[in-house]
This record gives sequence, C-alpha cells and structure tokens, in this order.
Amino acid sequence: MKAARFVIIALLIWSLSPLAWQLYTSFCTDQALVTPFAPLEQRWTLAHYQSVLQSNPPFIRYLFNSLFAGAISTALTLLLAIPASYSLSKLGQRSALIIKCLLIGCALFPYVLLFLALLEIARYLQLGNSLIALAIPYAALSQPLAVLLLTNAFSDLPPELEDAARVEGLSVLQRFRWILLPLISPAIASTSILVFLFSWNEYPIALTWISDSNKLTLPVAMARIAGSSIHSVPYGPYAAATVIGSIPLILLVMVFQKPIVSGLTTGAVKG
Amino acid sequence: MTLELRQVGRNINKQWIVESLTMNVADNECLALVGPSGCGKSTTLRLIAGLDPVSAGSIHISGRDITSLTPAERSVGMVFQSYALLPHLTVFENLELGLRIRGISKRDRTSKIRQILDLVQLWNRAGNRPAELSGGQRQRVALARALIREPEVYLLDEPMSNLDAQLREDIRPELRRLVLEQRKPTIYVTHDQHEAMAMAQRIAVLHEGKIEQIDTPYNLYHNPYSLFVARFIGRPQINCLKDDSDHVRAVRPESIRFSDSGLSGKLQSREWLGNSQLLFLETQQGLIRMMAPPEQTIPEQIRLTWRAEDEILFNVETGLRLSR
Repeated sequence: MKAARFVIIALLIWSLSPLAWQLYTSFCTDQALVTPFAPLEQRWTLAHYQSVLQSNPPFIRYLFNSLFAGAISTALTLLLAIPASYSLSKLGQRSALIIKCLLIGCALFPYVLLFLALLEIARYLQLGNSLIALAIPYAALSQPLAVLLLTNAFSDLPPELEDAARVEGLSVLQRFRWILLPLISPAIASTSILVFLFSWNEYPIALTWISDSNKLTLPVAMARIAGSSIHSVPYGPYAAATVIGSIPLILLVMVFQKPIVSGLTTGAVKG
Repeated sequence: MTLELRQVGRNINKQWIVESLTMNVADNECLALVGPSGCGKSTTLRLIAGLDPVSAGSIHISGRDITSLTPAERSVGMVFQSYALLPHLTVFENLELGLRIRGISKRDRTSKIRQILDLVQLWNRAGNRPAELSGGQRQRVALARALIREPEVYLLDEPMSNLDAQLREDIRPELRRLVLEQRKPTIYVTHDQHEAMAMAQRIAVLHEGKIEQIDTPYNLYHNPYSLFVARFIGRPQINCLKDDSDHVRAVRPESIRFSDSGLSGKLQSREWLGNSQLLFLETQQGLIRMMAPPEQTIPEQIRLTWRAEDEILFNVETGLRLSR
C-alpha cells in the first residue's frame, strides 16, 4: 500500500512538475527567469499576462477560435460516429471485425503525411481561413477512434433492452433518445474529450489552412508568440499563453470527470 | 382468442434454427416450452414477438395473420430473462415509456401505472431505480410492464431463472395469479421442467429446433413418444436398458423394486433425498437408478424387477416409441 502511494506520488511529480514550472515561469519577471537565485526587488509580475491579453488581436480571440473549432469538430464527429458505431455493433461478427481492423489501420496512420494533400483540397474547394472548414479534417481524422470507442459502448449494452423497447413500440430514433444515448453517455463524454483535445492541440493543418491572424487557433498563435523575435525567446509571455490555453481543458475535464471515470471503470449497465 | 403457429421456421445461413413448428395455445392456457439449451425455445418466442423475422410458415392471433407485423403491432407482452429494465429510469418511468410512446395522456398514464403497481404490490417503490430493487421486485416490474399493455398474448422467457430456488418457489403462485388470471394465451419458456409442470397445462418439448411432443405433464412423463422426451422429462433420469435386441427398454427409477429373482446388481452409491433415497446399481445392462423409500434396507443379494406395464420400449435407431 505504502509502495503504491509512493509510486503514485512519483508519477504525479513526474507529470505535473512541467506544468508547475510553466505556471511559475508565467508569473516571473524576465530578470527573475535568468537569475533564479539572486535576490531581486521584483520577482513576481503579471506583465506577461497583460502583454498576451492586450496584444492585437487579443489572445482571448484565439481561445474562442479554438473553442469554436473544437466544438464544431466534436459535434460533427459524434454526428457521424454515433450512427456508424450503432450499425457496426449490429453487424455480423466477421464483417464487423474487418471494418474494425481497417479503422485501427486508419487510426494508426500518421496524419501529418496527409496534410499536403489536405492543403491542396482546401485550396481547390476554397476552404482556407474558415474555422468551420477546419472542423472537416478534424472530424475525419477523429472518426476511427470515435467509432471504435462508441462501438464498444454499444456492444456492451444488453440487447434485451432494445428488444423490450421494440416490443413496446419504440422506433429507432425513440430508442436512441430514451435508451441508447442515455446509456452510452459516459462513452460519448470520454470520446468527446478525446476529439476535442485533438482539435485543441492540432498544429500542422491549422497552420496551413488558416492565415488570417483573426482566425488563428491556439497552437498556431502560441507558436507565433514563441517565434516573434529572432533575438530572444519570450519565455514569460509564452508561458502565460500556455497557462491560459490550458484552463478551458482543465475545466472541461473537471466537469466531465465523473462520466469519464465511470465510463472507463464499469460496463455502464451490467451488474 | 388463440395463438396459432403454422409450420413456422427460422433459417439463418441455410441452417434451420427452428423448423416447422405447429402449435395452438388456447385462451386461458399456459404452454411451456422446454428443451436443452440451443434447442430453439427462445428463438420461437422471438418469432412470436416479431423480434426475429419468420423464414417459413405463419403466426396467427385470434385468426388474424400477424406474421409480417412489427413487434409493436402484435400486441404481445413479453417478460425477458434479464428483465430488460432501463437502469437510468425509475420504476414509474420504465412503465411510463411505452404508454407515452403510444400517446396516452399524462393523467391516464399515472392512473394506469398506479393500478398495475398496486397489483404487483410495488407502488411504494415507484420512485426507485431498478438497481435499488431486489431480484424478485425487478421481476415484478418487468411483469408489470407486460401487463400494462393489456396484450393478447403473454410471452415469458425464463422469467425466474435469475432468482434463487427459494424465491422461485415463492413467486410461482404470484406469477400464476398475475398472468394466468388474464385468461390470455401464455407461452412460458424454461429449462426447468419442474417449473414447466407447475406453471403450464401443456408442455412442448423442443429438440434441435423441432417439437418432439406437445402434451400434458402427465402424458409426457408416462407416455413419452421418443427416447429423448423420456430422458428429458423426469428427474432422476429414466433408466435405459440395452440388451441384444433392437430396442431400448426404459423404466422410471421409482418403478424398480427389490425382489428374489430378476436382474442382479451391485450397489455403487446412494444419495439421501429426505423423503426418499436414490440408489445407483451396477448391472449387466448398465447403471440403474432406483428410487426407494428412506426406510428401505438393501438386501445382500440384490435382484431387481419391475412390472411389465412400467416398461416403455423404444427403437434403437430412430429413438421412437414402439407400440406395445
């Protein structure tokens, strides 16, 4: 028991200390960063946050861009993945297995290799500089993982629940509304988080599809801060931007923590 | 009002899961479907409910052909083995869902649910989720959901197999009161032949997707048409004696007596059953099970006999009964 606790604490330090370091950096003056142990009159500052928030366009703008692109791509992903997974869970074992193997193949494919082709498509269809259009490749790239996760959730449901509902006269849509969606909601929550995270962190596609500085997403905007000067790296503003960029994610996970954990640990309805 | 199956079959990948089932269930009659697992009894129920498509034959309720109707249009009430209650809804909401889909007003829904929950004595648990109920209570909710539809046919799929033996015995009279008093055709699927005999007027024995025999419990026990039925019905199992002839002689364990002459045997083991004892005897014609009164003493020289009329003869090849 004691050993287990030690391991957990070690793991927490391992994974949280870079974040703590970033948080610390974001509140330090430039002076304090380069002379960490010297006594200084002014060690703490909010200047980095001020500079980030008051830039033009303000950093909050990128936050909303990312939230917007993330929300649209998550919604689009679920809209396609839920019906697909339901059908897949009803399919014969053999064909379902073949499709699942293909999906795993797609999920493992390094998507960076696609981005030149995607760029061509975006140029041809004039999808550049649109956050809604950005959701299309995001939803497509998230599809394999989402379908696999949700198919498992559908397969775990006892088939008798739907049989009973059919005897009661519920149509497919009514079964979704009253039975299937409520029962797989933990899986939907954890899938949404993963899709949202992907879209939140995605860099190469966002970099190439969006050039209008009003429509940048967070990773691209942060990279711009980091590379804004050739003479120095603006550690402070960069750290502040990272902290601001992480807050929505932390909030999201905290809100959905319960369904995610219950979705991971139990078969949702069995037992 | 009767339920009628005419030559009904279900075919998956060119294999018959059930084949040419023909049966009639009258009003006020409970027919039990029994058979080993995989014999097609649950499939038969799903065909009647409309959950699986029928590949051959037709199904009729009160003379009306319902073969191509959807489950909802068939007016069947079904109780599932796992009860199939929705875990995220309360007892009340579980019962309400079907009524709501059928467009019944809130006031009528509430009064109907109240009435049915009073009947199964669960009104005080209306606000509970299924997880907060005991197995027996869940079973009664599942039953209430079937009753509330006022269906023309009741289908019960192993409704008590998730309950422990004592509870099963306690609930049986309750189940009889609730379902059989509706005076509707009822099909009761079970793998437990005691339950079948306790609940049903007639029993259909299924074997590899076909009906071996439909009969009263008495006739199944005393006049089985085939060796399969003879072996399947009755515990301890019937003794099957094989000599050099082309037939099998089957004798029930309680028909075997000790005597001065007859088949000689050796006691292998005995089981006390409380009101009787079960003896396992080794003979030249195979192992013989014998039911004896508990006070029965075992003679030194064991010789076994039985009355000729207690013996049933079956053809070795076909397994069918030979006329006496």
